[in-house]
Amino acid sequence: MLRAMPASAIRTSRLTKDYGVGRGLFDLDLQVAAQEVFGYLGPNGSGKTTTIRLLMGMIRPTTGSAYIFGLDCMREAVEVKRKVGYLPGDVPQFGSLRGSEIVAYLGGMRGGVDRATVRKLAERFDLDLDRRFREYSRGNKQKLAIVLAFMHKPDLLILDEPTSGLDPLNQQEFYALLREVRDDGATVFLSSHVLSEVEHVCDRVGIVRDGRLVRVAQLASSEQSLEEIFLSYFSGRTPRGLTS
Amino acid sequence: MTSVLLALRLGRWGIAGFSLAAAFSTFLQTVAFYQIAGHSPAQRAAFGSSIAALGSQVVALLPPPVRPDTVGGYVEFRGFHPLAILFAIWALAGATGFARGDEERGIVESTLAAGVSRGALIAARAGAFAIGLAVAAAAAAVGLLAGLAYGHESVPALAVFEESVLLVAIGLSCYAISLLVAQVPAARMATAAAGFVLLALYLLNSLSRVFESLASWRSLSPFHYYDASDPLPPGGTFDVRAASVLIAVAVLAAALAAIAFELRDLGSPLVRIPARSQVASHEVRGAAWWRYPILRGVYERRAAILIWAAGMSVLAVVLVSLTRTIVRVLLSLPNLLPYLSNFVRQQVYPGVLGFTWFNVAQLLFAALAVSYVARWSAEDTDGRLEMILSQPVSRAAVVVERMATLIASALLIAAASGLALYYASHVQGIDLNAGRVVAASLMLVPFALVFAAAGSLLAAWNPRAAVGVLGAFAFASYLDTELGSIYKLPLWVQDLSAFKLFGTPLLTGIDGRNLALLLLLSLAGLATSILAMQRRDVGA
Repeated sequence: MLRAMPASAIRTSRLTKDYGVGRGLFDLDLQVAAQEVFGYLGPNGSGKTTTIRLLMGMIRPTTGSAYIFGLDCMREAVEVKRKVGYLPGDVPQFGSLRGSEIVAYLGGMRGGVDRATVRKLAERFDLDLDRRFREYSRGNKQKLAIVLAFMHKPDLLILDEPTSGLDPLNQQEFYALLREVRDDGATVFLSSHVLSEVEHVCDRVGIVRDGRLVRVAQLASSEQSLEEIFLSYFSGRTPRGLTS
Repeated sequence: MTSVLLALRLGRWGIAGFSLAAAFSTFLQTVAFYQIAGHSPAQRAAFGSSIAALGSQVVALLPPPVRPDTVGGYVEFRGFHPLAILFAIWALAGATGFARGDEERGIVESTLAAGVSRGALIAARAGAFAIGLAVAAAAAAVGLLAGLAYGHESVPALAVFEESVLLVAIGLSCYAISLLVAQVPAARMATAAAGFVLLALYLLNSLSRVFESLASWRSLSPFHYYDASDPLPPGGTFDVRAASVLIAVAVLAAALAAIAFELRDLGSPLVRIPARSQVASHEVRGAAWWRYPILRGVYERRAAILIWAAGMSVLAVVLVSLTRTIVRVLLSLPNLLPYLSNFVRQQVYPGVLGFTWFNVAQLLFAALAVSYVARWSAEDTDGRLEMILSQPVSRAAVVVERMATLIASALLIAAASGLALYYASHVQGIDLNAGRVVAASLMLVPFALVFAAAGSLLAAWNPRAAVGVLGAFAFASYLDTELGSIYKLPLWVQDLSAFKLFGTPLLTGIDGRNLALLLLLSLAGLATSILAMQRRDVGA
């Protein structure tokens, strides 16, 4: 069943985070429609994680503004996070806590855990929740991060390189999960280095370079492959037939 | 060489902090000697006998002073012996931080991948720590020499050098032993196991001064070989053989640690208990504990809280059991009564217990607060805070919950140790006012809160520097109350010390003004840390 959502899930206006010496994010104007899967592409240090942290209210913008479902990402951060599931680029360290304790801990901050949903997700990715976090492999830590992001069925998923460390089978499982939540009405904002991944699951893509959004492209209607579009921005050639 | 430089860089804040602490400590104790010991031989002899009598009562914990009527003997007792304990704690933190902390962070794996052998890595880290120890010991020597210059006295340069060598040797020995022990258990148990072994070795030596049955075992403790030398007092000795044993222990333990490191898998313990085979679970268990703020924090720290409560209760019982002996000796020394008049007044037992137990309890509660702040800083740097803030909780709520969890933990520990104190006193026939025991134990909570509030502000401002700066703040606060009256510091400066504001609640009840000041300082720290947390970037 589709959920009723505002037309725009994410909206930023001249969003800037200036770290000095040309580093940061500059004048980002971006709109992501509700129930859309939006891919955010760029090389290392281009500003992808900075954008995500600004949207999550983790860092304060130098100038500009960001809204999620019409809510200000800084001033109404608590309300925003009720609607958002977040997967950070670096999985946080939970030491000797067990997987189930971490789920209960973070789920408890949302008022409780939907055990059935967690069980389904854990079964789907074959994640043993009885093991301690420090015993998890890198892939299992990433699976746990996926469970934490999806377990409360959020309206918007903000995912920073979500398949990092996953094996190909689990990557496919993750893509299937993304399609399911989109069909269920959720919006997805996904940053990635992997062109095939973005091409595979995203409706639109934004390309960021040196802290600036250089192009937003509709993938289905493009005459070029995503690889061609992407490379054209990082080899000095101009892309053909793209709408921004 | 590169590994040594990397180790020095990773440990630079520890070296700087402990060097500063060492220099200040020896300088202030040296100057304090000239302030309180008097100038005539008779005055110094009387002072020395008072300190000797006092020292003989804590001989189960610290080595007795040698010639405390002289600046060398006094500073060795008050300055260098506590520094040896401090350096042992530094060695524990440094060794377990390398052996398991750096391993978890992937630093060890990266270094080994660069072609450094495991043995060379152990040697490089031990060498770097020895350099750090040498710097800190030199700082302690500089502090002593500066204090001596103030008093226009001198001690032989060789004696100062020998005292510094002793500090390096005991620190290095503790480092290597911690390194060896940390190889054996799982990573999460490494610090506790190494800490337990060091504490056991320390107590083996110190208790053997009281219990003859332990005397034949004390040669197993490195602290016994530290005690064998007293180079600073006039006519003091430096036992070259004992110092060599300390160095030999360090080399042997480091070599064994290297062998153990070779034998175990990276990230695994040396001794692996076979895990029972179990089916993977996809269920969330015990969710109820985690749902409620504060309760989830206390539940997560339940093992640590139990250890703190049990350890402090045992310590309370030990100190109560020593009280009658202490009082008997104190009362037999009329010239000591003026020295202790601030504590004793007319109620001898509560006075002495207030002095012994609550002084120790204050130090331990300050350490408890520092350990919580270390945890908050780690949450910031390891990404856990970012994950917490991605849930629908405000930054202010995170800060408040942290402080409330500390209060709840401190209340549980204070209650357990207060009960142990009261019960042990009753068994010993020492009548304590139950209301005052409760009040004094509860007073430890706002006392810890002051340090936690300062730490909360530091963790919000700069999490990487928070623990070091808070440790320095706690140390300065302790020195403020210990030396404030000796140096005749203004009253308002002395009132900035939580140790001073704690007062003597077992003897005189809670001072409302002091309690209000403690709470005011805590609230100011809490409010500013909320502001700092709201304004800062997380995860950047």
